Amino acid sequence: MENASIFVIMVSAVLVNNFVLSRFLGICPFLGVSKQVETAFGMGMAVTFVMTMAGTLTYFVHHYILVKLGLEFLQTAAFILVIASLVQFVEIVLQKMSPTLYQALGVFLPLITTNCAVLGLALLNIQYDFGLIQTIVHSFFAAIGFSMAIVLFAGIREKLEISDVPLPFKGFPIALITASLMSIAFLGFTGLV
Amino acid sequence: MNIKNFTNGLIKENPIFVQLLGMCPTLAVTTSAVNGIGMGLATTAVLISSNAVISILRKFIPAKVRIPAFVVIIASFVTIVGMLMEAFTPSLFTALGLFIPLIVVNCIILARAESFAYKNGLVASLMDGAGMGLGFTLGLFVLGSVRELFGNGTIFDVSLLGANYKPALIMILPPGAFLALGILLALYNVVQIKSSK
Amino acid sequence: MKDIFKTGLILLIISVIAAMSLALTNEVTKDKIIEQRAMANELAKMQVLPEATRFEDVTGEMATEIIENYAPIVEAYIGYGSSDEIVGYVFKSKPTGFGGPMDVVTGINLNSEVTGLRVGSHQETPGLGAKGTDAAYYEQYAGKSAAELIGVSKTAASGNDIQAITGATITSDAITVGANASIDAFHMIIEQGGVGN
Repeated sequence: MENASIFVIMVSAVLVNNFVLSRFLGICPFLGVSKQVETAFGMGMAVTFVMTMAGTLTYFVHHYILVKLGLEFLQTAAFILVIASLVQFVEIVLQKMSPTLYQALGVFLPLITTNCAVLGLALLNIQYDFGLIQTIVHSFFAAIGFSMAIVLFAGIREKLEISDVPLPFKGFPIALITASLMSIAFLGFTGLV
Repeated sequence: MNIKNFTNGLIKENPIFVQLLGMCPTLAVTTSAVNGIGMGLATTAVLISSNAVISILRKFIPAKVRIPAFVVIIASFVTIVGMLMEAFTPSLFTALGLFIPLIVVNCIILARAESFAYKNGLVASLMDGAGMGLGFTLGLFVLGSVRELFGNGTIFDVSLLGANYKPALIMILPPGAFLALGILLALYNVVQIKSSK
Repeated sequence: MKDIFKTGLILLIISVIAAMSLALTNEVTKDKIIEQRAMANELAKMQVLPEATRFEDVTGEMATEIIENYAPIVEAYIGYGSSDEIVGYVFKSKPTGFGGPMDVVTGINLNSEVTGLRVGSHQETPGLGAKGTDAAYYEQYAGKSAAELIGVSKTAASGNDIQAITGATITSDAITVGANASIDAFHMIIEQGGVGN
């Protein structure tokens, strides 16, 4: 993976190893914030913003602090603290700098700390031994993959709301089966890279 | 009273089937019954320990910084459980992979810390942690068994459907996870609807 | 102001205690984990080159040469027989499979014959790529000639071709990439007159 080309990383992060549909990362927001396309899009953007920054920041934390001090065993604790602080920081900055953006993304930010896609991404970047550029590209496109999945899913769920679903399947069961069908579709990308 | 705290999480408020919490590991690691139980027990260990510590320290942790404090405590226990698993059950550790450190962001643990352990005594918190943890384990075990049975014809690697059974591979692939959980939830709803009539 | 100080102090104390308990667990489990990894490594080497009784790492310039020019190989070992003569070489490679990097250990003896291959830790799909760890698959490599490269056939094994795992060509290709890199590195070592004593 060390020498994986940027293009391969891009395609694989968005389509082949889609965070939600094939890696099962970020399922909570995927199921929770996908009743409307608009909110799903907002969540997607907030996640993209945080994931790209968190991926880059944890790269520096890992290579320049933890490895240098021989403290790799603190990885999980350090990363989750970095992510939590980052989310708070982004919230404060957005509030001050861009009230419109804050209004659009604000409600989603606190939810992102416990989004396992963010921590999962940070850990995967290290596991794959990515360099800085690869880390940034992978972080950004993994988040794009997440956003794409959640927006598509929300589109389908909006239609489901008004269709006649057998009573026991109403709500989550049919949503999960829909997700299953989407996941089958994404299986088709297997072998692309 | 304490017994109720225990059974609550097991059935009535089952984290997977009722609260729909901790979905990522639920879907990701349940490719076999063994993996489901391993993940469930690892989570239970973290949940009991973090509930206990948070309950003991609940008067000491200021409300303002409770969330960061919880996160630090949970992350420590997750790392400890991870290290112990790597040392003593290396094959399970490899099979669960990334999802061991991700126990940190399992919503169940933070939710129980916030809504139960921070407000209740040690014994009650221990019971709550054990109940919720085992309820989670039960859910993972059921889902893992169903997927392993249809996807591989086995449970715990013991062949149950005979040599002629052609495994429905889809069940252990990612789509099978969503499908199996969706159908199990619908079955659960059928039972609920029937019994409420 | 005083309040902030106190809150910060409490958070600091919790973090320090957490870090200390982690350091302690790390200290306790570290050796065990290293031992587990070494044991798994040693066992794999024995299995792929059964003629050898003891192994030594390839070191110095030769090791650098192999790692730099024969990717994805990451480690190389010399296998010695019972009377301390070289009987073959073992290579550990990390090709990229479907789910990420996987460990492939390949043994080649001095008769230019692949003596065995094992797949160690991997993240391949259960039921598909994970079948690379089944004996039915990896035993195909044993006995293949290292005079030429090993090919992958989707239909049937023939000559120096192995049969791919059904539905997991990427995994089969990746494992074979590891094996072929080992074959190339083996020839380079032989051409240079071998390494070791």
